[in-house]
Order: sequence, then C-alpha cells, then structure tokens
Amino acid sequence: MSQNISEFAKRPKPDNYYSELVKKVGELNQKFRMFSNINQDISFGLPFSVKDNICVKDVESTASSKILSGYLPPFNATAVDRLSTDEFGFLGKTKMDEFGFGTFGINCPEHPLNPFDERYVAGGSSSGSAVATAILKHHVSIAESTGGSISSPSSFCGVVGFTPSYGTVSRYGLIDYANSLDKIGVMARSASDARYVFDKMKGSDNYDTTCVDHGVSSLNKKKLVIIDQLVNGIDSEILGSFDRTVSKFEGMDYSVEHKSIPFIEKAIPAYYIISMAEASTNLAKYTGFKYGLKVGDFSKPYNDFFTEARSSFGIETKRRVVLGTFVRSASVKSRYYEKALRLRAMLIATLNDVLKDAFIISPSMPIKVPKVEEAMEMDPVKAYKIDYLTIPPNLAGLPHVSFPSDYIGGMPVGTQLVTNHFNDYAILDAVAEWEKSFKYKFKYEVGAL
Amino acid sequence: MDENEFDRLLKTCRLSLAPEEKAQIKKDIDNIIEYFNTLSDAKCDDYAPAYQPIKVPPRRRKDAVEHFKETGKLLKNSKIYRFFIVGPKI
Repeated sequence: MSQNISEFAKRPKPDNYYSELVKKVGELNQKFRMFSNINQDISFGLPFSVKDNICVKDVESTASSKILSGYLPPFNATAVDRLSTDEFGFLGKTKMDEFGFGTFGINCPEHPLNPFDERYVAGGSSSGSAVATAILKHHVSIAESTGGSISSPSSFCGVVGFTPSYGTVSRYGLIDYANSLDKIGVMARSASDARYVFDKMKGSDNYDTTCVDHGVSSLNKKKLVIIDQLVNGIDSEILGSFDRTVSKFEGMDYSVEHKSIPFIEKAIPAYYIISMAEASTNLAKYTGFKYGLKVGDFSKPYNDFFTEARSSFGIETKRRVVLGTFVRSASVKSRYYEKALRLRAMLIATLNDVLKDAFIISPSMPIKVPKVEEAMEMDPVKAYKIDYLTIPPNLAGLPHVSFPSDYIGGMPVGTQLVTNHFNDYAILDAVAEWEKSFKYKFKYEVGAL
Repeated sequence: MDENEFDRLLKTCRLSLAPEEKAQIKKDIDNIIEYFNTLSDAKCDDYAPAYQPIKVPPRRRKDAVEHFKETGKLLKNSKIYRFFIVGPKI
C-alpha cells in the first residue's frame, strides 16, 4: 500500500475533518477554479477527484462542455466503480479543456489557474485534476490523456502524472475524445500513490473490449535513451534543467545513450489527424435532445435542430470537428487519415525497438509554464506543436509518467519517462527511486493530518 | 480550401458560424491543413495502418438478454413521451 494512502487510513481524524476539508476546498476553488462540482457529503476514505469527462453516477458530467450541461450519468465509469470502496471517498469533478481539446487548460469557461502562481496556466487538458492534486495533501485524481493531457498539467503544476499503457484501464464511462488514443490515468503526489490507484483501476472489463487482460511488469534495464529530435528546440532553461536531471539519474546507476528518430516530428500531424477524425465522429452524438443541453424546439427540421445544438461548442471544438470531418472525406482520406495510421504503425515499431532495453527520457514540456495571456494569444499550429514531447508515447499507446524534477523561477518543471507496453510498473518504480533524493514542493497542504 | 468547399464542409458538420468566427476558423484551418501536409513525405507506406496502438484480441460481449429495470434513470436526461425519447422531426 502506498505511504500516503496507508498513513491516511491509520491516522486518527477529527470528527469535522471532512466538513473542514470541503469548506477549505470550496474557498480555494474560488481562487483556483479547479472543481466544477464538490461533493459536500464526503465522509470517509482517501478523497479522490475525477476529471469531468469520466462519469460518476448521478453527478453532473459535462467534459467542461456547454452541450453536456445538466447531464447526469445513471452509472459509474468502471475506473470510478473500482475505487468505490470504503478506502476512497469521492470529492468532486475537476475542470478540463472542453472534451480534452487543449494543452493549457484554458478552453473552458472559468478555467483553472496554476496553484504556484495564478497568473500562469495549469496545463491541459486535465487542468483541474492537477491543481487539486497540488493543493490537497491526501488525495488522488483520476485523469485522462489522449495526447498529453496528464503529462502537461502534471508538469506545470508539479505533481506526478501517470498515463498507463493503452488498454490497461477500462474506458467504459469515459466521454470519448478519440477512442484509439484515450487512456484513463492517475495524478498523485508520489509514484507509489499513483501505482496503488492504478492497481485498483486496471484489469479487463466486459464493457470495454479494447481493455485487455494483460499482466503488468517492472523490467528496468537501468538505461535511458534521449531522442535527439525531442530535445531540439527546447527552451534553454528547460534544457539546462533536463541535463541536470539526467546527471542525477546517472548518479543512480543509469547509463545514458542518444538515438535519432528523424521522422518523430511527423507524429504531431499524425496524432492530430487521427484524434480529430475520431473526435468528429464521437461528438456527433450530442444532438441537443438526448444528453445534456436541450434545444427544446422540436418543430425545427432535424438538421436545423442539430446545427443549433452544436452552436454551443467552443471555438476549439468547432475547429476540430471541421478538421476531423475534412480528413475523413473520401477524396483525401488516404492522404491524411490512412497515412497517419501508417505513421503510427512505424512509430510503434521504432519506439518498441528503442524501448526493448531502455526508458526514453525527455522533459515533459518544451517550455516553461506560460502565463494565461501568452497561452491565449498562441495560434493553433504553434499550440499543437507544444505537445511534441507528449504525443509520441500517446500516439503509440505507451505508458509514461511525468514527475517534478526542478523548479525554475518558483514554477515546477517536469521530466517524462516512457517505457514499452505493459511495463508500467517499471517507470513508477524508477520515479519512486527518484523521490528518495528529490523532495517535491507544494504551496498548499490542504487536509494535512 | 476555397470558400465553397469550406461552406460545404460546414454544412456536413452541421455547424453554422458567425461571420467573424467563420473567418477566424477558416484561416486557422488553412494553416493547420498546410501543417498536416508535412506528413506527406513520411516514408511509412510499407506499414499497415494501426487502428489501435496495441493488439486487441477479438472479443465480443455475450449476446444475452438482460432485464434492466432502471429505465427511468436512463431516460431522465431526455424529454420523454411514454417510453420514448422525444426528438426533432427527420
């Protein structure tokens, strides 16, 4: 059992522990805006929060989209169901970029703010989960990643963000972004907490046929590979910090090798093509009468009714629906969509070869945490390219973990480890080893016992 | 992408955009498609398309009748008439 979770269970709690916790979380939510919903009735267990695109029975679940406002799922997602024991208590739903479309966490109304300094973004798309984890002492958050939605906010908010192998955790009850890329993972304050919760959530599920019954290993060959193309163009301070992190791993008996994968930059357009193609079909089910928002005027012809419902999408969602529909068009499908799927196959084969005896290490994000207005002014192509360190493992469905490795100007910096499919424990164990000599910093310790 | 093609695409997507929003999204989409075009020189045509990142064994849910009694909960998100979800005219 993880230290945090076992200590929390053992320590006596004052009678008003949960009511005071809820009160304090509510106060900080006014400042950092991480929760869309706080469970006022939590009364037992380690508090856990859930990203708003993962269904919790009878709790509004909107994926931070207006089109799903008011939607009350009649069931729990499998990942949530498996935590619904005496050991864990549901604390609330966390905000995110609408449907997961974003790198900075700003694509939703009243977006979350960075707990280290609220002038800065929290990262996205699992922004609220990362902020909640950075603020609460005893807590874990169930998040989700499609192209970097766990690593990015974990890095910017200074927490551990673990994205498991594709297919280890059931996606049943997840409001889909892109089915072949979506992975439910964990944010925590330590690798052992993340591992403990992952163990509870993983395992095959009759409700998700892509969730495989596969053992998870911990094979660590004590070797790190740096992909040269992934460290080109990185902010100079981030690069300097990364070099120091790699040196510390060398001090932990890891050997380091450089390798070149010249085509790896093509993973970015390939990822966006596949994810937008899948997203544009997934979003077609929001028609304005079945889930969430109701258009109400049933006298309208179907197309007009549907068009009115979709007017409530945010601008990034509209952009992705248009692009996803375009790349699936019969006239260009082989040029974009099928080409992207072939690129993914080549990437998986190449990365598997690199990972057979090593982890890949890189910074989690190529830039320092940006200010909110800097992120808002960024054009879409530039913003998409910021994901170039997190996209390769996500496109290939490989397990990866972002962990705090430095602080620059008072803001956290994350490093990312990637391993081969179903060797998830190995990177969590490596981070646990890192944590023996590197103390994470938190500005808040809400709920400390 | 020319204006007519863009309008056809919007119609397919069932999206209606205000003029300012339309101009912004059209400009963004032209830039993004130009970026997507950089994929064309990737030499990956020998690889079969990877629809999933891992091998997913063929598995089907058991085709069995289940008696679900909580239909009220399933329908509570919609306007209903008797046992039916009310929707627009087709």
